[in-house]
Amino acid sequence: MVHRIQVASGRVRPRYPRWSLVILVLSIIAAFFPPLIHAQDSKVISYEDHIAPILKRHCLQCHGDTKQESGLSLANYSALMKGSSGGAIVVSGRSGSSRLLSVLIAEDPAERMPPENDPLSESEIGLVKSWIEAGLKQDAGSEAVVARTMNFTPSVVVPRVGDGVLPGELPHVSEQVLNRPFARVALGTSPNANLVAVAGYERVDFINTKLINTKTRESLGALSFPEGIPMVIRFSRSGATLMVAGGSPVRSGRGVLFDVATGRRLAEIGDESDAVLAADLSSDETKMAIGGSGRVVKVYSTVTGELKHTLVKHTDWITAMAYSPDGKFLASGDRVGNIHLWDAETGGVVLPLAEHKGLVRSLSWRSDGQMLASCGEDGLIVWWDVVKGWPAMSKPNAHPPARPEGVYGKIPNGVLDLAFGPKGELVSCGRDQQVRFWSSDGNLQKTFALDMETGSGSPSDPNAPPRSKTHARLQPKVLLLRVGFVFDGSRVIAGDTSGMVWSWSVDPSIEK
Amino acid sequence: MMSLKNRWFYIIVAILAVPNSGLVVQGIEPPGTGATLGDSSDNGAVLSFRVDVMPIFFRAGCNAGTCHGSARGKDGFMLSLFGYDPKGDYERVVNEIPLRRINPSVPEQSLLLLKATGAVPHTGGKLFDRESDYYKTVHRWIESGACDDEVAVAETVAVELSSEQMLFDAPSQSRSLKVSARLSDGTVRDVTTLARFFSNNESVARIDARGDVASIGPGDTHVFARYSRFTVGAEVIVLPQPTDFSWMVPPSVNFIDQHVFDRLEKLRILPSEICDDETFLRRVTLDLIARTPTVDEYREFMQDRRSDKRSITIDRLLADEAFADYWAGLWAEQLRLIGGNYAPNATDVKAADAFYQWIRKQMREARPLNEFVAEMVDASGSNLTNGPANLYTMLVHKPQFEPKAFAADFSQVFLGIQIQCAECHNHPFDRWTQDDYYSFVSFFTGLKRKPGVEPRERRVYYDAASPPANHVVDGRPMPAKVLGGVAPVTPGGDPRTPLAHWLTSPENELFSRNLANRIWAQLMGRGVIEPVDDIRASNPPVNGPLLNALSARLVESKFDLRTLVRDICNSQVYQLSAKPNDSNRRDTRQFSHSHLKRLRADVLIDSLVTATGVPRGFPGFPEGTRAIEYYPRESGETEGPHFGDVFFATFGRSSRGTVCACETKKEPTLSQTLHLSVGETVRDRISRNREVVKLLESHASEDAILEQLFVRTLCRRPSDTERESLKSIIADASDPLVAYEDIFWSLLNSTEFIFNH
Repeated sequence: MVHRIQVASGRVRPRYPRWSLVILVLSIIAAFFPPLIHAQDSKVISYEDHIAPILKRHCLQCHGDTKQESGLSLANYSALMKGSSGGAIVVSGRSGSSRLLSVLIAEDPAERMPPENDPLSESEIGLVKSWIEAGLKQDAGSEAVVARTMNFTPSVVVPRVGDGVLPGELPHVSEQVLNRPFARVALGTSPNANLVAVAGYERVDFINTKLINTKTRESLGALSFPEGIPMVIRFSRSGATLMVAGGSPVRSGRGVLFDVATGRRLAEIGDESDAVLAADLSSDETKMAIGGSGRVVKVYSTVTGELKHTLVKHTDWITAMAYSPDGKFLASGDRVGNIHLWDAETGGVVLPLAEHKGLVRSLSWRSDGQMLASCGEDGLIVWWDVVKGWPAMSKPNAHPPARPEGVYGKIPNGVLDLAFGPKGELVSCGRDQQVRFWSSDGNLQKTFALDMETGSGSPSDPNAPPRSKTHARLQPKVLLLRVGFVFDGSRVIAGDTSGMVWSWSVDPSIEK
Repeated sequence: MMSLKNRWFYIIVAILAVPNSGLVVQGIEPPGTGATLGDSSDNGAVLSFRVDVMPIFFRAGCNAGTCHGSARGKDGFMLSLFGYDPKGDYERVVNEIPLRRINPSVPEQSLLLLKATGAVPHTGGKLFDRESDYYKTVHRWIESGACDDEVAVAETVAVELSSEQMLFDAPSQSRSLKVSARLSDGTVRDVTTLARFFSNNESVARIDARGDVASIGPGDTHVFARYSRFTVGAEVIVLPQPTDFSWMVPPSVNFIDQHVFDRLEKLRILPSEICDDETFLRRVTLDLIARTPTVDEYREFMQDRRSDKRSITIDRLLADEAFADYWAGLWAEQLRLIGGNYAPNATDVKAADAFYQWIRKQMREARPLNEFVAEMVDASGSNLTNGPANLYTMLVHKPQFEPKAFAADFSQVFLGIQIQCAECHNHPFDRWTQDDYYSFVSFFTGLKRKPGVEPRERRVYYDAASPPANHVVDGRPMPAKVLGGVAPVTPGGDPRTPLAHWLTSPENELFSRNLANRIWAQLMGRGVIEPVDDIRASNPPVNGPLLNALSARLVESKFDLRTLVRDICNSQVYQLSAKPNDSNRRDTRQFSHSHLKRLRADVLIDSLVTATGVPRGFPGFPEGTRAIEYYPRESGETEGPHFGDVFFATFGRSSRGTVCACETKKEPTLSQTLHLSVGETVRDRISRNREVVKLLESHASEDAILEQLFVRTLCRRPSDTERESLKSIIADASDPLVAYEDIFWSLLNSTEFIFNH
């Protein structure tokens, strides 16, 4: 009950003493740049004291008062802040997005500054980097341009007891003849029951996450989805309604709401000319947002079915979408890496969240609505402080792929899905065929891997057919597509391209 | 069709739990998986994405530049251009948006197939139907799981056509061409149904998607088949309708006549007459020493009664310093020589002078062209004192040395090959791959330019410890390797030394053919391969044996410029009249008659100076400098185009903005006409030197004065009709001086003056 009151009032009570937070923040910074922090933490790095001398020594010949190559002058603080003809060259707190740093550390000598000279020393580069990270201070006394917020303390935990709605006697959905098992392209877990819904071809299957047993190959029933491929499956906050969105590529798409208990169709939303790729149901179940190749986010009323808002901002296919738990915001991500935060009620733009450089695969809100996580094909997981619109934390190469001998260059390292657990913990899956479990403060805790040597078969399963080399060679590479937590955070569920659904216990010691 | 046996029932997944087994709880497989795959033998061999599926993307045009092969894809779906990145293509087709394009569970519902067959809206339309082999192949591949190739598959190593030459004696005939690919495992595969075809000239011959060649109209061209990364061509000749053609063999003077006349005979084209002495003298003087002949030169030549006076004149001109200076200017232009004070890009005027003086010395001393090039390629040291080292500061005007840009320009200048396409994808119409490109770039990745003791100076050196370039697709380091080479050059040391050796060796036909073609084009107005700096498989020479012979002659003469120029100028082909006959009127490329060439901007100025006797100065150069000796000398930024003089901009002298041969504009324009008719260049020169006044004061006859003016400008005497009509103008004029000056002006403004014919 106490927790419920906190949700309603929105008050956040710190669960740890304040100093623990400080230590946490410091340790995270230290994890990013260990040598710098230890060397520099006693003093403030400022433009006047540290950066101006470096620029004067190396840059002012071409970017000074007499000459401004590319329209850039580095002669003084305000000129530096103004940037070049191509725009700003520093972004406060984000050295990775600051061109000033990237040209100094470029590996390609043709791109690196200063031209035809040795690169700057490591300590000089370190100073520039730290200065950007610490907020571009002009002198030792000035305020940082922006301070980063690292408040990771999950403050609200929704009580979950596991007595949520389970499907009853569902209408029979006839079995299909398929050439191959259907890839688990969508998966949704109930917020309060041992229930997972997974995509099948023109259907959605319910599985009891608790009644998992070798011998009982039973499901809890299925829902028919003749629209085509279910691309998104989400339970409502009450667990009583299931949203399924998808369709047939380049022919039709829509979202459908089902009553979990009876399998009845409650509403059919949207009439698109292409399959829906991203969708979500608002927490009060009155709105449903869908998007896809049309590049617009459409918000429909689930009550009347009418189109309430068309959100135009994305420049490419919309690939991920999520309503915040309090229903205030809608986040949407696209194929070129842009994420937009919308006001769920008015459809107005709240913030652009720019950090990803590739397709945004998934968006998930922390239960307190203070933090949004995103992941994408650029290998990045970002924990967004949605109040400020800055990444509170970002993990590049969050699923580092193995590098086979003799292979150079970029290996696909996309993070394909992620989901927050009830206590702010996060689970993600990536092209490395692994599931990773992150603590509420963003530290990697566990890695669950598929045993790829044996493909999707279990060596401990006596029923699994023997595999010859030829068979193995014919198998397509298995990718884990979707992950989610069971309602209480005790188990992680994942679906893969070979049609398998996997399950891991987060903490084996508490397994019954 | 699929047999039912190969489909298996897939019911529903159950989840398998192994209680208390630690972290991993394995799922079980859907029943049937694996067991049925052994039956794939029923379908024949397992299909490969690279060998079987990607060629269909190519043939159907999916990965063409106008469709999904565009750098940004099309309608949200991207493939690599002509399939240079198979791994990336597989990811985009299968995994980019899972289940969207490929649906292994219900293969016929895969968007890839629905789009290709036009079953759903597709910008590219319907590409093949459900009954086609293309459909069946892609369907079978999806059905068996749409797998990527896990082991290396056989690559195409060569593509061959069933015929290399086709002769049609009439239009509306047809013959079919078969394409076969040789694979790295030794097998040969008929790929006629997977290749793409095109013709270089559809008004001569067309080729359809089946490989059937149809003759359309008389002429010669090439038809091509492209498969994998190879473009192979077959020559097609369509003869004109046999009228009363009878070949009259003109007397051949040397090998050039032999090859050109052979070709003309085959095409049933008669060459024009040999040009008269006046035309020859003007033509050869303009071509060799870059100005019109003087009156004295005219008289001397016309009075010469020796039968070999043309050869004698050629030798006289070749010995003239102006010949060397003209070629020094052409090289300087080609190498983008430019200079100025306060130039930030290592193109200071002092460096430019060092480079120019060095080039001119080589030309005057008749340095073998291969040695001339090799010395530049291997040059190091200060750009202010070692002229040839400026190759590395002038060829690409950038504040920093850029190996990729340099490698591209280097091959365009010295080999006539444009490899820069292969930076982003395998060359679509030539043999060059990304491997070739990045291996070639590695010759220059260690090239450094270090600021010297003074700001104008750059010291060029090679850091052999620098890593090679990395392949753009997979990041592999690509050790330096010559174009078309098999093994990389021996590591260690400055790789430019083996590069220079390979480049300029007599065995390197890429080099000698490029030089021979450029020399030929300079004199004939058109290369045997045109454009001269776009030599590629799909742009073959219009006369292969001729180019081979020119190249061989250059090599045989130890790369002596003057020997090849002498042979060309002495040939009957060079001396043909520009006046066409009935059979060669339509020919523009087989050298059956002389090409009209608009004078280059610098040659035009020098000719105006010669005709009027009024010199023209150039900013930054001493009085009396010839235009062909001028290079742009402008202070400040030198990265952009520089003409240096408004006349050069108007008349299309190369701005040296790029290495492209097309920087030199040959087209006549309206502003050129206006510049000559109302601009100061001609106007100020008519009377400044009092040439007409002097003629009048000498009390010469009307005829004599007119002849003087004609010879000065057009290197010929006026015709009788010209003489008569001009005399009547002079008679009507109140002031003869005005009339003569008007005539002089008209001659300088005439098309005949502005063209070399």
